[in-house]
Amino acid sequence: MDQEKFYYDNRIVKYFLYATLFWGVIGMLVGILAALQLVWPELSFNTAMTTFSRIRPLHTNAVIFAFVGNAIFAGTYYSLQRLCKARMFSDTLSYIHFWGWQLIIVSAALTFLAGYTLSKEYAELEWPIDLAITIIWVIFGWNMFGTLLKRRTRHIYVAVWFYIATFVTVAVLHIVNSIEIPVNFLKSYPVFAGVQDALVQWWYGHNAVAFFLTTPFLGLMYYYLPKAANRPVYSYRLSIIHFWALIFIYIWAGPHHLLYSSLPDWAQTLGTVFSIILIAPSWGGMLNGLLTLRGAWDKVREDPVLKFFVVAVTAYGMSTLEGPLMSTKTVNAFTHFTDWTIAHVHIGALGWNGFLTFGMLYWMVPRLFGTQLFSRKLANTHFWIGTLGILFYAIPLYWAAITQTLMWKEFTPDGFLKYPNFLETVTQLIPMYAARAFGGLLYITGVIIGVYNLVKTVTHGKFIRDEAASAAPLDTISGRRIQGESRHRWLERKPVQFMIVSLVVILIGGLVEIIPTWLIKSNVPTIASVKPYTPLELEGRDIYIREGCYTCHSQMIRPFRSETERYGEYSKAGEFVYDHPFQWGSKRTGPDLAREGVKSGRLYKPDSWHYNHMDDPRKLNEQSIMPRYSWLLRNRLNSCTTARKISVMQKLGVPYPEGYAEQANDDLSIQAQQIADGLKSAGIEVRSDKEIIALIAYLQRLGTDIMEGR
Amino acid sequence: MKADPENNQERDQLTGDEIMHGHEYDGIQELNNKLPRWWLGLFYITIIIGVIYILRFHVLKTAPLQEEEYLTEMAAFEQTPSEEAPAPSSSSSGDEATVTGTRLTDAASLEGGKTVYDKNCAVCHLAQGQGLVGPNLTDAYWIHGGSFEDIVKVINTGVIEKGMIAWKDMLSVTDIQQVASFIMSLQGTNPPNPKAQEGTLFNPGS
Repeated sequence: MDQEKFYYDNRIVKYFLYATLFWGVIGMLVGILAALQLVWPELSFNTAMTTFSRIRPLHTNAVIFAFVGNAIFAGTYYSLQRLCKARMFSDTLSYIHFWGWQLIIVSAALTFLAGYTLSKEYAELEWPIDLAITIIWVIFGWNMFGTLLKRRTRHIYVAVWFYIATFVTVAVLHIVNSIEIPVNFLKSYPVFAGVQDALVQWWYGHNAVAFFLTTPFLGLMYYYLPKAANRPVYSYRLSIIHFWALIFIYIWAGPHHLLYSSLPDWAQTLGTVFSIILIAPSWGGMLNGLLTLRGAWDKVREDPVLKFFVVAVTAYGMSTLEGPLMSTKTVNAFTHFTDWTIAHVHIGALGWNGFLTFGMLYWMVPRLFGTQLFSRKLANTHFWIGTLGILFYAIPLYWAAITQTLMWKEFTPDGFLKYPNFLETVTQLIPMYAARAFGGLLYITGVIIGVYNLVKTVTHGKFIRDEAASAAPLDTISGRRIQGESRHRWLERKPVQFMIVSLVVILIGGLVEIIPTWLIKSNVPTIASVKPYTPLELEGRDIYIREGCYTCHSQMIRPFRSETERYGEYSKAGEFVYDHPFQWGSKRTGPDLAREGVKSGRLYKPDSWHYNHMDDPRKLNEQSIMPRYSWLLRNRLNSCTTARKISVMQKLGVPYPEGYAEQANDDLSIQAQQIADGLKSAGIEVRSDKEIIALIAYLQRLGTDIMEGR
Repeated sequence: MKADPENNQERDQLTGDEIMHGHEYDGIQELNNKLPRWWLGLFYITIIIGVIYILRFHVLKTAPLQEEEYLTEMAAFEQTPSEEAPAPSSSSSGDEATVTGTRLTDAASLEGGKTVYDKNCAVCHLAQGQGLVGPNLTDAYWIHGGSFEDIVKVINTGVIEKGMIAWKDMLSVTDIQQVASFIMSLQGTNPPNPKAQEGTLFNPGS
């Protein structure tokens, strides 16, 4: 058969690769800043843009979608072309994808710093950017399937199965979790509220981990690890079983983020059960990676690329065992809302994603530039510093988590909380937070050494922009199964059918969990006394969201004596029916605020306290690590969109009286004046049109609907 | 090319494992190894655990769901009141001052009172009692009276309209006795930046 000559596009790989390094360094530097802010709150600089609660989402998004995202694309564009024996379907689509993605990252960074956020973790971006992500993602898929359809190999390799599953699942997750109604160009409310919003969000959030941080990286592992080791993949059968089991089971596990919350018990159970069943499918990937190295372990000792891969795959194995353990009620009762979660995700991010990325880059860059790696020694140094960095990062946080959770739950013999003041349990952690920041610093030092090494490699080589290759074209054979062909083998030569089957497999879990929660009334029992927010409270809530209060404060009191003693009556599903979006949070760096406004509660503080505390928490608590939010005392509340907000809420089913939008601003002014008058009698002169007034109104409303003392 | 598979199997040189025929992707080959048995065993065991879990919680109902678990936890606490002190809620009846006892002046009690104060009161009355959100506790002016009994009463029942919460369910009787004694010991300490006087001059003798 005649060989066809063609060229691989290496330039698009190079672009994504540079973007990976650039955003990696930025994202990690922002992470270090956030880590240091927890030790020295002054580093928030009393400026909205540089405050921890805006910096943290910037860090998580930069690392996930900019660093890891670009690494996925670099690795995919390189391997997909070679696995298909074809150039990418369209160079134009490739570069629209590249520049589109970078533009999304830049607009994400700018809008986060400016306070435009939906507050749904890892999906904080406002609706125009959500739309852009959808378009760029479709372009990526179009380009990928175009390439697959013109491929010169009969079957698609397991790496590509993972790319296909990634593409289709991320599309579904992103679209469903981003259904929102705009108020204006940069403000919208999600259509789901409370329990439903929480379920959809963590179905998304958990599966962003699964299908953005896991499946594409398993695909990359299946290509780069056997390549670098020059060894055959351990087991084709294991690939098949663990691939399908993984994508089917992963989808169900989202509710494990909401154990002991107001989510119905049956949904929590599904989250726990499927997380446990997920252990073996996850480990299938680890085993297929590690066992591929059989017979090549001598190479691991010498080759930094393989060292990075071995630690990456091991970190993957560790966090995929730890995750299911954290999804059991027994463990979750202790670890949830603590730094345990932060340590857990960093084993995944720094170990699995980070190290796999750097192993891949060290392997790929010399090949793109037709040269050798500049320094194997520096790569080894990077490896060791990075490994130490992971340990120094994670161990102090595990320690912090255990320390704090035990303090939260300890009672005196008299039956009182041993540490009733939440701050005591935070102050205890500061040395561990400092050690964590040091671990992060070590890790980024390794990264910078790596960047230097790669830059040196680039300057010593000559870039092969279009790499010549040749392969015979595919002859057409029957689209049906041929004799002796297994069903799966048939599917492997039918990428579109492969995608459809994947889509069906990943839809099942989500549908079973989300639709009943949405449709069956008994899942969210209504409570008559729960009323919509007043216009001023709604505006205050939007400030709460804008400033990212949810990054440190939960609004979900779990049914434990240690929580109800500390915070008050545990949270009920019916309390959140008007919460678009929900604000349950995932981490308690500060105390829970679900009953902040309840006057008979331990946490109740008068308006004047909130006023002073927002101005400078250290005026009241010398050891507080909460940032200052003093601009709230100066900023005028923008109430131009209040009426529109009410209308949008009405569209979402919030029962404001008909025509209430027109009356909203008047009611807002009256309530604001009452609060300002109250502050005046406490000796604080403040105009009623300041943002702080709205925020106080919201905080004093929290948790009061079902409690006395409103 | 269809030869006897027994003789025509390609084998990996290093491990001797069978290589899948026709599975070659950009130079990557695949081996025809079986699933590791322990791995498969693990998979089955986790599925069995999952089924048992669902049965126990939702079908047989032999394990408590979260609300029941909470009620059990609370009931267990209420059934075993501490011997040293009455359960927090039982101090609500009767004259608090009588229950609480009298002012203490020994160093250990004042030290205990200071600990309680630092944890609970300083966040409004500030670390040295100079006041900010709550009134200054170091001057002789009191809104609700400055006797030991007055202070205990305010601590117990709060003045919620001014933001002072009722502490009687959150602090033990001893805690309240000690912290009230500590607060009285702050009289005349003149800390810097005091809050302006509020209420009326209180004469201990009157």
